[in-house]
Amino acid sequence: MADPVLSIRNLGVTLTGRDGSVTEVTANVSLDLAPGEFVSIVGPSGSGKTTLLRAASGLRAPTSGQISFAGRQLSGVAPGISVVFQEYNKSLFPWLSIGRNVAMGARRLPPAQREEHVREALHKVGLDGFASRYPWELSGGMQQRAALARALVSDPQVLMMDEPFASVDALTRGHLEDVVADLWERSSFASLLVTHDVGEAVYLSDRVLVLSARPSRVLAEITVDLPRPRTQTQTRRLARFVELEAQVLERVEEAGRVAVGLDPAAPMREGSLR
Amino acid sequence: MTAPALSGPRARRVGYWGLGWLGAAAAAAIWQLVSALMHSSIFPTFTSAAAKSWDLLDGPVLHQDLIPSILRTLAGFAISAVIGIVVGMITGYYRAAREWTSAVFDFGRSLPTPLLVPVALVVFGLGGRMVVAVIVTAAVWPVLINTANATAGLEPTLVDTARVLGMRGRTFLWRLVLPAVSPQIFAGLRVAISVSLAVMVVAEILGGGSGIGYFISSAQQSFQITASWAGVVILCLLGWVFDSIFLLTERRLLAWQRGTVGGDVNG
Repeated sequence: MADPVLSIRNLGVTLTGRDGSVTEVTANVSLDLAPGEFVSIVGPSGSGKTTLLRAASGLRAPTSGQISFAGRQLSGVAPGISVVFQEYNKSLFPWLSIGRNVAMGARRLPPAQREEHVREALHKVGLDGFASRYPWELSGGMQQRAALARALVSDPQVLMMDEPFASVDALTRGHLEDVVADLWERSSFASLLVTHDVGEAVYLSDRVLVLSARPSRVLAEITVDLPRPRTQTQTRRLARFVELEAQVLERVEEAGRVAVGLDPAAPMREGSLR
Repeated sequence: MTAPALSGPRARRVGYWGLGWLGAAAAAAIWQLVSALMHSSIFPTFTSAAAKSWDLLDGPVLHQDLIPSILRTLAGFAISAVIGIVVGMITGYYRAAREWTSAVFDFGRSLPTPLLVPVALVVFGLGGRMVVAVIVTAAVWPVLINTANATAGLEPTLVDTARVLGMRGRTFLWRLVLPAVSPQIFAGLRVAISVSLAVMVVAEILGGGSGIGYFISSAQQSFQITASWAGVVILCLLGWVFDSIFLLTERRLLAWQRGTVGGDVNG
């Protein structure tokens, strides 16, 4: 494997509540993301997936462990890492038109190139002609595509997505998955996707990591050897897809069972899990 | 803007303007009727008060009193707006700043402003600067509190997004926080403009040396009752003009907000 573009070593994040309560969200997570690779992180709800992504993107400083991005220690948000959030309606700036929203992603580019890049990014996500519209004039799926355009306009090395399709209906979700898959295949960025949708993780990824319940660690790593390009109708019907999906789901359920204490035999806090 | 009698945005607007003015005319008519029936020297009819205010606006009062009053109100309002927005954003965003200032601000905003006039008179003397200073002590609070609350409650996803996009420091304040909280800022500004007007009058009555408040109280003290009522009419008009200009500005600047733009956008 080539040198990873993003490397997380023994990451731990402990959150302190306003009342002083301390929660260990992430205990010990390590992962490598190769350039151009697509990795998904799944896990039971409350397993600290979002916290992990916030740490990996530099939005939150980890309590312990190291994160290095492009060969350097990550200390805060970095150009080259873009993030798409679940709540597109809270992530797009409502006071800016779609075009100007996307242009915010191009702030680091030389002014002369911005307009061209914005137009190109909107074209890639199929939003030609919507530059002057305001976010609320667009449907949810279109808004999330605009957020994608904004994330990709700066030509990042890593695209991180936190449940990006969780707030749209099932049909739109499938379409958005294909938009992402298509953009990813045509570009060189690596992708780190957090999702609770196992099928989605398998459909999009090269590798799926299953997190344990909190305090989370990597419970399993499943390599997805499905051929590309993938399509909703073809790929999801493959025996191998169904098998992989079941495999991942099994591990997620296992993690969930441990979380609610239904499986006392499972060694959660002590010992190695793999 | 609510006038539920008619339906649809256009009808609603027509309803507001039409019915609103009809209501104003009715109030004037009631004033006219009551004062005519009372036939009292301390309560002139609406028509005589209105005619007197027209006379006043045609005479020296315009330059001596009305224009200074407008300038003082606007200056006080503008200073309050700038201080309120900047300090509000800072205290709203930084929790430490918020906690350190909370008690001071609570005392400050509960202070009855007329109380400050004697002190302000000592510091600034009689006249415009004193009036402006007193306006600021009252009008700054609605802006500051609204801005601070809105900033403190800023949507976390919006903040994360801005940070990922590399917005920091001043860029973050002016290009994220300011537009994001602008609806609440405008709500505070609208209160501030009416507070500015009210405080302007009180401060002028107590020691303005000139101005519409000063005019009303000196007319009253020299038993020019109609003139002092005319001053009140002029003040009402002034308040209405300020508020209308304000609403028009808000409508333009906050056009991106759904709801503020009414139903016209998709049409």
